[in-house]
Amino acid sequence: MAIKNWKKMVALLAAVSVTAGVPGVSYYASATSVDDAAAGDAGAGDAGTEAEGEGEKEEEKQEVMDNGEVVMKNAVGKKDKSEWITMKDYEVVAESDTYKMYLYEPTLSIMLENKETGKILESTLSDEKDDGLSNVAWNSYMKSGIVVNAIADARSRNTYQLDLVNSEHTLDVTKTDNGFSAKVYFKEYQLGLTMNVSLENDELVVCIPDDSFVEDKEGAYISTVIPYPLMGYSFLDEKEGYMLIPDGNGALINLDNKEGRYVTGFSQMVYGSDVGFDDSVVKEYLWDMLDMVKESNKVLAPIFGMVHTDDQLGYLAVIEQGDKRARIEAQPNGAMVNYNRCYASFLLRDVFVQPLNNSNSGTMIKAEDDRTHSDLQVRYLLLSGEDANYSAMATRYRNYLLDNNMLTIKDNSYNTRVDFLGTEREDFLLSTRAVTMTTTENIEEMFAELKENGVSSLLSIYKGWQKGGLYDLPITKYKADSHIGGTSKLTDLIKESAEDNYNIYLYGDALRLNPSTNGLNFNMAKKVNKRTYEEEIWAEVYNTFYYLVPEKSGDAIKDLADSYLDKGVANMAVAGISNNVFSYSFKNSFYSRPDTAKRYSEMLDSIDKDTNLVLEQPVAYLWKNADAFLDMPLGSSDYMYIDEEIPFLSMVLKGVMPMYSDYVNFEANKQEFILQMVESGVYPSFYLTYENSADLINTNSSDLYSTEYSTYKDAVAQYDKELREVNEVVKDAFITKHEKLGSGVVVVTYSNGVRIYVNYTNKAKTVDGVTVEAMSYSYKVGEAE
Amino acid sequence: MKRNKKFLKLAALFLIAMVLTSGIGAATVSAETPYRTYTVDGNSRMEETQTAYLAHATLIKFGNEFLSAPSDLCVAEDGKLYIADTGNSRIVVGTAEGELLKVIGKGTLKSPRGVFVTENGHIYVADRDAEAVFEFDADGNVLNTYNKPDNPLYGGDRVPFMPIKVVVNDAGIMFIICESNTNGIVEISPAEGGTFLGYFGTNFASTDLQTIIYRAILTDEQRAKMASNIPATPDNLAIDEKGLIYTVTRGDEASTLKRLNIAGINLINGANLQDVYDLSPAAVAVGNHDNVYVASAAGYIYEYNNQGEPIYVFGGRDDGTQRVGLSTQVTSIQVGSNDEIYILDSDKAQIQVYEPSEFTQKLHTALYLYSKGRYTESREPLTEVLKMNSMFDYANRAMGRAYFQEENYDAAVKYAKLSKDKTGYSDAFWEIRNIWLKQNIVAAILIIIFLFIAFKVIKVLDRKKGILNGIRAGTAKIKENKLVSNLLYSGYFMKHPFDGSYGIAREGRASWNAPSIILVIFMVEYVINKYLCGFLQKTVREGKYEIFSDVGTILVVIVGLTACNYLVCTINEGEGTVKKIYTYFCYSLLPYVVLTPVSFVLSHVVTTNEQFLITLVQIIIYAWVIILGILGIKEVNNYTGKETFKVICLTAFTILIVALLIFIIYVLWAQVFEFISAIYGEVVYRLGY
Repeated sequence: MAIKNWKKMVALLAAVSVTAGVPGVSYYASATSVDDAAAGDAGAGDAGTEAEGEGEKEEEKQEVMDNGEVVMKNAVGKKDKSEWITMKDYEVVAESDTYKMYLYEPTLSIMLENKETGKILESTLSDEKDDGLSNVAWNSYMKSGIVVNAIADARSRNTYQLDLVNSEHTLDVTKTDNGFSAKVYFKEYQLGLTMNVSLENDELVVCIPDDSFVEDKEGAYISTVIPYPLMGYSFLDEKEGYMLIPDGNGALINLDNKEGRYVTGFSQMVYGSDVGFDDSVVKEYLWDMLDMVKESNKVLAPIFGMVHTDDQLGYLAVIEQGDKRARIEAQPNGAMVNYNRCYASFLLRDVFVQPLNNSNSGTMIKAEDDRTHSDLQVRYLLLSGEDANYSAMATRYRNYLLDNNMLTIKDNSYNTRVDFLGTEREDFLLSTRAVTMTTTENIEEMFAELKENGVSSLLSIYKGWQKGGLYDLPITKYKADSHIGGTSKLTDLIKESAEDNYNIYLYGDALRLNPSTNGLNFNMAKKVNKRTYEEEIWAEVYNTFYYLVPEKSGDAIKDLADSYLDKGVANMAVAGISNNVFSYSFKNSFYSRPDTAKRYSEMLDSIDKDTNLVLEQPVAYLWKNADAFLDMPLGSSDYMYIDEEIPFLSMVLKGVMPMYSDYVNFEANKQEFILQMVESGVYPSFYLTYENSADLINTNSSDLYSTEYSTYKDAVAQYDKELREVNEVVKDAFITKHEKLGSGVVVVTYSNGVRIYVNYTNKAKTVDGVTVEAMSYSYKVGEAE
Repeated sequence: MKRNKKFLKLAALFLIAMVLTSGIGAATVSAETPYRTYTVDGNSRMEETQTAYLAHATLIKFGNEFLSAPSDLCVAEDGKLYIADTGNSRIVVGTAEGELLKVIGKGTLKSPRGVFVTENGHIYVADRDAEAVFEFDADGNVLNTYNKPDNPLYGGDRVPFMPIKVVVNDAGIMFIICESNTNGIVEISPAEGGTFLGYFGTNFASTDLQTIIYRAILTDEQRAKMASNIPATPDNLAIDEKGLIYTVTRGDEASTLKRLNIAGINLINGANLQDVYDLSPAAVAVGNHDNVYVASAAGYIYEYNNQGEPIYVFGGRDDGTQRVGLSTQVTSIQVGSNDEIYILDSDKAQIQVYEPSEFTQKLHTALYLYSKGRYTESREPLTEVLKMNSMFDYANRAMGRAYFQEENYDAAVKYAKLSKDKTGYSDAFWEIRNIWLKQNIVAAILIIIFLFIAFKVIKVLDRKKGILNGIRAGTAKIKENKLVSNLLYSGYFMKHPFDGSYGIAREGRASWNAPSIILVIFMVEYVINKYLCGFLQKTVREGKYEIFSDVGTILVVIVGLTACNYLVCTINEGEGTVKKIYTYFCYSLLPYVVLTPVSFVLSHVVTTNEQFLITLVQIIIYAWVIILGILGIKEVNNYTGKETFKVICLTAFTILIVALLIFIIYVLWAQVFEFISAIYGEVVYRLGY
């Protein structure tokens, strides 16, 4: 009987498994998978170039010739000389003391002539310099004063290039006092815009007002707008010079022959990528968990530049409006075409994948409902003569920021920065328990010792002070964890140490929300497709973080500031919102990056008056709110096409705002790091704990592998002594000149005449009669200019 | 005029070239790297660490010669680079500064895939398409050409000779990896213009249980369709100064990296080395400190100690962002005399040079001393390393051993625990315990004697004066309580399973609450024992708690067992009810409840030497529990031995079926649910939200 029963069971099981095996519901899955494949394709295309257009798909392959030129398939060939458009076809539309601006109306091409030298800066590819090696789409892209990419059919994710050479359009140019205004309308997709160009002394302003955009056709939208994609270009190595890119602290790409080595160049969203849209690049993890490749540096300032050294001509471009959703591109020769070029590309509307259910088996591709509303404006600060170099660019940019109240001069006195980690959490039984690394008493003890060792002033960021430890986010009120001694002890510590010029700032990430510690919170930002954005990290305790919507970040930070001020604490260190800007959906509305940026800016304005605010690696539009710049990058992202790293941001900000480096503890080559700090005028930072960092092994901070105070106390005193000495000499002066000599020595000249010599080589060098030891630095006091 | 212009242009070019070339030597190391460095801790968990190697220089050309799809690189002892420039059918010889020294083999070579340089400067080239290994002298003259061996042992016509990698030992014997030859590494001696010595270091095809079962039941036709199970050929090889051969083989799991002696025996014990190797290793190189480097095709670079245990992994794939130090298609790795690493990228046609950071240099010194057994000497560099990274596993372990040698056992225990070094911990703990015993043995004996006397005295007093009568009466009263009495009955069941089962079946000893209490105690003990037992017995990693899933698993097992057993018993004329079955299963756990505290306490005091004590206790527990369970089934249901066996088998089978059913139902419902939600989503979307 039993046997019979289980025979039945087997039969039943077999029947069930057969049913399961039939792909009864797979029809739907396969129908939608086509969409997914299309999305994947388009994603790959996104990473490519902006000049995507009809019939351009198969042009990916290009050949490199012996002289380093690249040749495209279906190249147009060189135009006959008789058909060339030359200077004769241009007319003068504006003139200033130094420059003359010429315009060739049909393509809105302009030329800027330096009246003294007669040297010319071109904005579009001239027929004379056209090598004829590019295809039609690229050729017209390069010869057009403005290029628009249109979305015509969101589902295909293709964009269509519209330009003034190859696309049917109407053009209406009106001359103005110092330039012109051009109304462009592309017939096929019924899109239009107005571009205003004016020459204001030695500044060229290109502006496309928000209200000039026209989108008349259903389903056809403007995706990106690129004004003057070839402004100040050069062919291969015909001109000596370089492009400035805002990567890390700053970097240069030389205008030499790259011999076709680089398929793409620098292309980064200003202020980092947008988490509101899905990343088109899927990250690769080693063994499915190790994130081996570091994120590249964020673009902190909306600038790029071009210098033709031999022509003594150049510009620094500042994206004044529309920067929140702009991309900065700097392409060396060999990246598709043989021209070195840098430009800003403004994104107005993007397409995205909308999943229809939770398992993402059904998706739709959509364009954003509305475009981003903002004027688009690029200001080219023109440089000529002695000023055609990056030192002058830094000075110009600094003056520009100061003149426009985007920056005010702060207290620049020297401090060594010593940060502490209070408490962290590790898993324990059903919950977590505190891992206390540095208590208020520990800090008192350490401060006393540092004082004894000659450290006369200090800036200290206290992380993980709040109840619940470092990752109990968001922080909404001033309540210290009892493990570090509690709120009143912390308040006393802050007040007492301030008398010794040891200033403690309380650290708070105003962006992130930890769902494990704040479960019942619905104020998290959703992506454009209405899915909650989750920041996944491979960590021990907390793996997922959400982003707070800016309104709530604002409320939280306001409450926190009030709560601090109640207790008489005014020092705040803010992270997260200082360098993140994103689009998000919240309560059935969609907010774009400019909205987020505006809210953050207002929020910091509102607390700035009453508090002393320091920001973690702030982006340019928040610099005005910061009393100090934390985590100033000293290098670049190591792109292969970078020829030289320069401390550009430091040159802009030195003497305006104190800048603190990344943590010295985690640097592998410490001597070189000191030299970089001396070179860029950045103050050193340490991240310390009283207990041994091995205690952190089971916490989210397990990446802090070397922080113990006893290991670093001598280093703190030594760094303090060395760098304080240099910076006392420099005082509040600006950097006026930075140059790398052939001998491998870097010379930095300050406005008070001090010259600093940094030798990165392994041999002693003598410059200006000053001998600089190998891997060392020296300085000379001089007369102010 | 035009000519003049051209001349000027040329002159300018020349000047620029001058400036450029003079600048090459002064290339600075970038302090920031685009990749992270990880190390492995004792739990096989990856931890980020200080940058181990910094991307230094990138060589894209030698003189004016570019490379084309290069596939191998050899760095000679004098620092010269020899590159198998496959695309250009030649060997390029250059310096690490990018100077071109020589071009060799132009005209002779067809498709050079491997290059090796011996101490006397002879250059061996493995040429796949020429089907030969060429030996050149330092000036580039062909000395010897080794073609396909005609020895029948080589494999005859079926086995082609397409050499792709070659290394040569001091005796001039060549070890050659050939494409499409799965027999192993071809070993050829130079005698008589090339004598085939045999195959070396043959890999074995792995056969798992599944394959064996498939082979047994499939038809010949189906078997032919199965993936062929031929052993993998090594992908690359290297040789060290002692003549040991290192090979890497993709997909060979724990024996991906091998260190073969002259007899072809692998000296690396792969038993503990799961998941530390790359799935597609491309090249291997021997370092200067008893260490080995492996590079994967994707650009990950691994450093191992001579036991094949990982020290670092760094580098990564360039996803098109073109950052210095990331690779796209690595074909060779070499190590220079100053520990600098050369990575040849065939896709980028370049050589990337990495330099060790201060941290790595210190670590190398320390680990070298440590591997030579000079523990005390290694302590100073180790201390430096630990200052720079206090979580560095190898340093912690070595430090523990060093302290042990210095008889500082407390510190040794601390470091051994940090690095999960069980042997080191056990040794140091033994010493500590020994010292404790020496100091406290007298006191301990005295306390035991005192307790014994006290016990005797109380017993005597009780017999004479009945001082414990009150307590006895109290306990008797408590025992009358039904619950307590049932709980105590479980003890009786444990000792007398036959009688005990009878009581459950016939005397109303089955209940819900008493067994549940035992189950709860069991769970608590299980959790405590799992997470808080002694270091040596611990099987889970420190700091990780999965209590919900532990408790959940126990509940599911007990409920499933009871339910399935009940189902099977009812149709097999068993007498057990659900309550009775639940009772005997829970009561069966009592040996665990009673004896685990013993093993728990033991786990905190024994070392590896006395490990057998705990093992013994555990065996007793498991055997007892299983016997109780089986006897419970038999007696409560009133089965014969044969019937019991059948019921147990059926129960196991039922559990399997139920699990399958639940799984299938879950999958079906998930599909249906997803289908509906997708339709709903689409409808909502079409209607415009």
